[in-house]
Amino acid sequence: MTKQQANWSPYDNNGGSCVAIAGADYCVIAADTRMSSGYNILTREYSKICKLADKAVMASSGFQADVNALQKHLAARHLTYQHQHNKQMSCPAMAQLLSNTLYYKRFFPYYAFNVLGGLDSEGKGCVFTYDAVGSYERVGYSSQGSGSTLIIPFLDNQLKSPSPLLLPAQDAVTPLSESEAVDLVKTVFASATERDIYTGDKLEIVVLNAGGIHREYMELRKD
Amino acid sequence: MECVFGLVGNGFAIVVADSSAVHSILVHKSNEDKIMVLDSHKLIAASGEAGDRVQFTEYIQKNVALYQFRNGIPLTTAAAANFTRGELATALRKNPYSVNILLAGYDKETGPSLYYIDYIATLHKLDKGAFGYGSYFSLSMMDRHYHSGMSVEEAIDLVDKCILEIRSRLVVAPPNFVIKIVDKDGAREYAWRESVKDGAVSTA
Amino acid sequence: MKLDTSGLESTAPLFGSLSSGIHDEISAAPSFALPNTINFDGFQKEAIQMVKPAKGTTTLAFIFKEGVMVAADSRASMGGYISSQSVKKIIEINPYMLGTMAGGAADCQFWHRNLGIKCRLHELANKRRISVTGASKLLANILYSYRGMGLSVGTMIAGWDETGPGLYYVDSEGGRLKGTRFSVGSGSPYAYGVLDNGYRYDMSIEEAAELARRSIYHATFRDGASGGVASVYYVGPDGWKKLSGDDVGELHYHYYPVMPSTVEQEMVEVTGA
Repeated sequence: MTKQQANWSPYDNNGGSCVAIAGADYCVIAADTRMSSGYNILTREYSKICKLADKAVMASSGFQADVNALQKHLAARHLTYQHQHNKQMSCPAMAQLLSNTLYYKRFFPYYAFNVLGGLDSEGKGCVFTYDAVGSYERVGYSSQGSGSTLIIPFLDNQLKSPSPLLLPAQDAVTPLSESEAVDLVKTVFASATERDIYTGDKLEIVVLNAGGIHREYMELRKD
Repeated sequence: MECVFGLVGNGFAIVVADSSAVHSILVHKSNEDKIMVLDSHKLIAASGEAGDRVQFTEYIQKNVALYQFRNGIPLTTAAAANFTRGELATALRKNPYSVNILLAGYDKETGPSLYYIDYIATLHKLDKGAFGYGSYFSLSMMDRHYHSGMSVEEAIDLVDKCILEIRSRLVVAPPNFVIKIVDKDGAREYAWRESVKDGAVSTA
Repeated sequence: MKLDTSGLESTAPLFGSLSSGIHDEISAAPSFALPNTINFDGFQKEAIQMVKPAKGTTTLAFIFKEGVMVAADSRASMGGYISSQSVKKIIEINPYMLGTMAGGAADCQFWHRNLGIKCRLHELANKRRISVTGASKLLANILYSYRGMGLSVGTMIAGWDETGPGLYYVDSEGGRLKGTRFSVGSGSPYAYGVLDNGYRYDMSIEEAAELARRSIYHATFRDGASGGVASVYYVGPDGWKKLSGDDVGELHYHYYPVMPSTVEQEMVEVTGA
């Protein structure tokens, strides 16, 4: 009874990187599909991207068991929302729901690092970024996961979106066109794969715009 | 650092407390009143963790008031002291309050009294008592100069001696003190001894 | 271990009366899940690593003639890594009240959101706005009830109520102080230095805003964990208003423009002897 679980942890880190970029009328959400545990690659095609609503897509890295539980919980909450309100949840609403859901496990957190991308009520792209216990902010672009420390400085350099806190306010939406943003995401992941052992195999890109949802893939290094 | 002390004189009791709210190296406030007027004839001076201090003294105050509402008569100082001790003792085995208390009061029958109650629920009736770093200076000072049946003037003189000693000898001495008194006319603020004004205009 | 989750009750859904088993589990305000472990404190120590600690912070607020001035930086760091340069550390509780954020980002954000709900409910029940005193005590009592469980909050509640301007400091140790001038966070000693020196009660709004901005700027200059954008808010009789948001990197050259330096002595290469 005394030392039975001294070295046991309920958590693992399965690695992986996620990126989301908001544009004027689109949003790109991307993540690699590698899932690892320590030096072992468990699978090369595990999707980290989850469609929560018509205009809200979440990409999550961290502990995939927790991520899975979180996705299921949010799916259920969204189903009841649809029954009660007869509509899809908006992206900003989903953003706050995710925040609260994460915080309710403040003392036993979901080991999940999420970015939520989507379109707001005006059809503008929006990205919300989180920590494991639910603090969140709306940004122009974001990255989470094992490769985020490599990806964020690169995106800062390329996009340099003005801080949303500035007054007079400057538009934080990325000036890139949709295809430019998708190309940037591909470049960024190709680079991260070169230096992060937990990122690789395949890149899954989800693009949201007025026309709906669109998915594409790109092969990454498999070593 | 925290300094709380008090003494019993002829027909009155006096308690003194520093008024600094400190967080590590920062003084967040230097006019925080740490002596609560418990009821018309009782004072409760408390030192300890900020949250516990306020929560506990307010809890005691409200329960003493509740007793008076229910029974129509106020608790005596001795009864209030024993009640306070009891609450600390109960909490001690669950989630202890880290507060040290000097409780001064005046009763028609017994006159003025001073009780010492620490966070591990020790209760003593004393003529003079102190808590905190200031106690090292004020205790000996009071041992030397205290005598029974002191007048208010003598007592205040002694209190000022203690404050002066603390200010001059204690490295982390608080700048300001509040002095409160309780006698047959009730419990009230007597004076502040301030060397720094909170929210003051810088003289530079 | 049973937790007091009454702090969350106001977030219960309107459809609470429909109580079928599965419905409850997903739409009623869930209670805080606790790990099934003997060593809760040890678990917390590990779990706390995941909580983005917005520890490196500078926030300040002060009362003056015209109302309350509130200012903060915008950096969040995890160790040496800057995890964000655009954190909104001044939280808008309602049009008349602001909260500042130091400590755990999620803890501050969540409980301020919770406080906003409680304040609105108070307004609906009593047909008048809650006082700053009352609001700060609501928050302090919640935080006190969670003491020892690892919450990390250092906040100032600033606002305007029927009694005029109000300012309280509240932290997760349960402390609650009324005052006229506070600064919280790792940069606070630097901010206090500038703030205490420049403070006068009878400042104009412009002077007060400039003092607040400069205090934040000097704190970000000396404290590595503070930086980003210096936001300044003013709370007056008609509610709060954001007065400015300046990148402190640019603010530096605004305060200290680069002067063309005069060359005192030209270095001349010595020809070998």
